[in-house]
Amino acid sequence: MKEFAVFWGCTIQSRFPFLEKSTRVVMDALGLPYREVDGFTCCPEKSLVNNVDHGLWTLTAARNVAIVDEMELDIVSPCTGCVSNLATVASELKVDPGKKEEVNGLLKEVGREFKGEAKLSHLVPFLHDEVGVNTIKARIEKDFSGMRFAIHYGCHMMRPSHALKNDDPLEPKKFDNIIRALGAVSLEFPTKLMCCGQGLDRVDQHDMALHMARIKLRELKRIGADALVLCCPSCYLQFDNNQFLMEREGEKFGIPVLYLTDLIGLGMGFQPEDMGLSYHRVDVGPFLEKWERGHSRPSPAATLTGELNVEGAL
Amino acid sequence: MLDTHLDFKLLEMCARCEACYHICPSSLNIEGYDPRAVIKDILAGDYEKWITSKHIWQCLECHHCLEICFQHYGFENAMTALRTLAAKRGVTPPQVKRGWDMFVKTGRLGEPIMPARKKLSLPEPGASGKEEFLKLLGVYREAKGREGTPAE
Repeated sequence: MKEFAVFWGCTIQSRFPFLEKSTRVVMDALGLPYREVDGFTCCPEKSLVNNVDHGLWTLTAARNVAIVDEMELDIVSPCTGCVSNLATVASELKVDPGKKEEVNGLLKEVGREFKGEAKLSHLVPFLHDEVGVNTIKARIEKDFSGMRFAIHYGCHMMRPSHALKNDDPLEPKKFDNIIRALGAVSLEFPTKLMCCGQGLDRVDQHDMALHMARIKLRELKRIGADALVLCCPSCYLQFDNNQFLMEREGEKFGIPVLYLTDLIGLGMGFQPEDMGLSYHRVDVGPFLEKWERGHSRPSPAATLTGELNVEGAL
Repeated sequence: MLDTHLDFKLLEMCARCEACYHICPSSLNIEGYDPRAVIKDILAGDYEKWITSKHIWQCLECHHCLEICFQHYGFENAMTALRTLAAKRGVTPPQVKRGWDMFVKTGRLGEPIMPARKKLSLPEPGASGKEEFLKLLGVYREAKGREGTPAE
């Protein structure tokens, strides 16, 4: 497997270092050849920088890609927004030689060159395609059979598809495949692919952000999901943080929110504290208890044998 | 102004299609958010009222419209153009202004939290590219002043 740089992005490192922790635990356990790279900046965030200045958005992303181009590394990120932004700019420059030349003219002033050779992947399709679902499955010591999870893909994991080219943008399957490999049921529900709505918090429309979160959380409660599983810090912010804020105001949904790496790590035998699960604001206790119960319950066959062995049973 | 950012021929097709209206999460869930009205106004040259509207910031940039669009164009292009125009005039939500200011000052939207990293036994984060970014920003601004809008 080719070495890669992890692009952590601003949100994970500034707000959710425990998500970095669980990602590292899983990458280390799988023996993935990742490297820490100096010099990255914000990807940059599309909804902020691109709206104000498309030229600076392009240039900043091109510089980040140029860093790994030079080191002949690929990029893998546990943030959907970062990958989507970098890949969108890279695809724009690859099909427009004039623009690429113009960008490289500016990058030359800081000793960089965008070549666009680095492969830019989000962690979920990377785990699916490069590591392989069966490799992950083989490492699971304690699976999630009997658990019913709702996946939230996160829009930018596979969109825009012309740039990311990693799954069906309207009917993605890879995240589902990993969840099934962990032994769990991946629930189908009408709002499965609906945007989390976190972007509304970034434009001072907090009530609207809560309104969007509520739509999905209500549905998850109705269908009895044991947890919401995702792999994007922005969606995590929306469903964990904002759900907690609603809970504090008396509106309780009780839907634990887990990062995919939390699940894989737990399944591999790591403890909740190894994954920083106590930092989640919505209590993950009910999820852990149900999972433990499922594993501590003897199998029906074992119970039957036990009963038949009792003296005078037959 | 908007014609430098938008392809009006594609937008005319959008006006007759409306597929994105039926899939857009904001259209489906936010009262008063209607791509059809915005496109109609842009085509009629009557878009001024949208520049100061909160609705242009309610596009979530989820790219759903882009994916369902048979032109692979999408309504979000219209919203991005309107937001860029609003930003040029300084009519942005305060948080966008704060985020932008932090970005051009530090190259990031937040710094790694060191005490939490220590508690979690996380290694030193990669060094920031701030200095080089600021130098590049200077180069970009100088070129922009000289030639208009490079790389746009």
